Amino acid sequence: MPLISTRALTKRYPGVTALDGLSLELEPGVIGLVGANGAGKSTLIKILLGLLPPTDGEARVLDLDTATQGAAIRELVGYMPEHDCLPPDVSATEFVAHMARVSGLPSGAARERTADVLRHVGLYEERYRPIGGYSTGMKQRVKLAQALVHDPRVLFLDEPTNGLDPAGRDEMLALIERIGREFGIAVIVASHLLGEIERVASWLVAIDAGRLLRTAPLATFTERTGQLLIEIDEPAEPLAARLVARGIGARADRRTVVADLSSGDGSEFGIYDAVRDEAVTLGVALVRLEHRRHQLEDLFRTGGTDERVA
Amino acid sequence: MSGLPETAGTIYDIGYRRYEGPRLGRRGAVGAIIGAGLRAVFGLGRPGRSKILPWGTLVLALLPAIVAVAIRVLVGDLVDLYSYENYLWGIGALLPIFVAAQAPELVVNDMRHRVLPLYFSRPIGRFDYVAAKLVSLSVALLSLTLLPVLLLLLGRVLATEDLVAALGDEIGVMPGILGSGVLHAVVLASLGLAICSLAARRAYAAGAVLAVFLIGGVVSGTFQEQARGLESVAPFLNPLAILDGTREWLFGGSVAESPVTGADVPLVTYGLASAIMLGVSLAILAIRYRRVTT
Repeated sequence: MPLISTRALTKRYPGVTALDGLSLELEPGVIGLVGANGAGKSTLIKILLGLLPPTDGEARVLDLDTATQGAAIRELVGYMPEHDCLPPDVSATEFVAHMARVSGLPSGAARERTADVLRHVGLYEERYRPIGGYSTGMKQRVKLAQALVHDPRVLFLDEPTNGLDPAGRDEMLALIERIGREFGIAVIVASHLLGEIERVASWLVAIDAGRLLRTAPLATFTERTGQLLIEIDEPAEPLAARLVARGIGARADRRTVVADLSSGDGSEFGIYDAVRDEAVTLGVALVRLEHRRHQLEDLFRTGGTDERVA
Repeated sequence: MSGLPETAGTIYDIGYRRYEGPRLGRRGAVGAIIGAGLRAVFGLGRPGRSKILPWGTLVLALLPAIVAVAIRVLVGDLVDLYSYENYLWGIGALLPIFVAAQAPELVVNDMRHRVLPLYFSRPIGRFDYVAAKLVSLSVALLSLTLLPVLLLLLGRVLATEDLVAALGDEIGVMPGILGSGVLHAVVLASLGLAICSLAARRAYAAGAVLAVFLIGGVVSGTFQEQARGLESVAPFLNPLAILDGTREWLFGGSVAESPVTGADVPLVTYGLASAIMLGVSLAILAIRYRRVTT
């Protein structure tokens, strides 16, 4: 049984398509959901929580249908929203215990687990003080605690490092990793920051403009052979065409050519030679020649290019 | 656990414990919201100043009944200042004060600080949330609309020689007491929460509730003094008068001071007005909470 499966999931708002035919199958683990702001990450999470009906298609979480079994799903999942969501005038202990009870825990268990969970997220003496006086880092921990307090099978975290300083980010990411690996809870963590996702996720789902770009183990994203970025001082189509004619995977994007280093005869140097030779033949000046460093980000540039072409 | 953490942020490696116990689902969730709502209304688990208003109004609401019972027990059937019929009208001013002070506690912060998505990501729906809050406030209001009148009844029964006979005499008024108490509590709770659900802050919510009752009461009182047909409009400007008229329509017994007495309208009109007041309040709540984005 997959953790999450969606089939042709679509959500349209008047004038905007938030999700566009998304089909996914995810197994338990720490799953990174990456995409730019507005890519449809939050919409996807809300549909999976059974809070938002899809316009089309269907989604299942823990083999429960989001459209008809939303309440059963919400008993077994935890959700940490992106935005502030804490009342300022109650203490963390009081608030998290209340949320545990709203998740269906009896009051004794709610109190016990609140104490446990607040310790796990690193809130100690301050947990008895009103939340209004907390730092952003402490508030994020309370938000995580309320999502974790009822021992969910799946945790949905929407931009959990929002507003945190670098040290706070590190701690939050370490916590998320621990929840996934040690606590054995499946985690879906949505972020627009690839660097963060890379550190915690074992599986990656990349979406852009509501469409699935790629879903694969993180390793395959980073192992992918690099690409060579060739920037020239004029439109790049002729150069790209000549490289393609030599059997090299190349694509023009305005004044740059992106060449696949694994294509051609398989040797990187062969490609460098080809680029040099073709540039000479065409009489174009090479401005820049470099390995793409952030491969995950390429994913989105590629997606963007495809969209322009389409 | 030995040794306190030397620096904040030390993490004990206590390991994660799974929860294998019962999950009470939607029923448990709604029960928890009702319970937390009642605690909030009465300021339980909160600083002392949160308790002043709710408990103060409750004591004031009970005071006439206590005095009446005391007089009856000590002096005997001297005067009957308060009857089952006019008690709620008599303590009328306390009800809006209680609602204005405590209804905002229940709903405004959840909306303002965007806590609602945390509720709705749990095994309840929007309807459950609103219904639970309504139950909290209604039950809390029953302590003002039912408790004093029951005390009055208890005093009358206990002051007589033959308890059984007295109880038999008074049993006939029970439906009226329970009915009026529940009617006032439920309609006022709905109206109060509906007004509060539209306010951005607790203070605005309290002000809005008071304004509705105060302006309604003053205008209604002024009209009541006029002739020219305005006296028949008067009760419909004051929610408490509408409720009093409905009480009279359902259970009988007119109240001399109420604008209902001076107005020349069939009593069923008040029942209709109450139903409209309740319906509009619930509609406002439904629309308001359907619009909340999660």
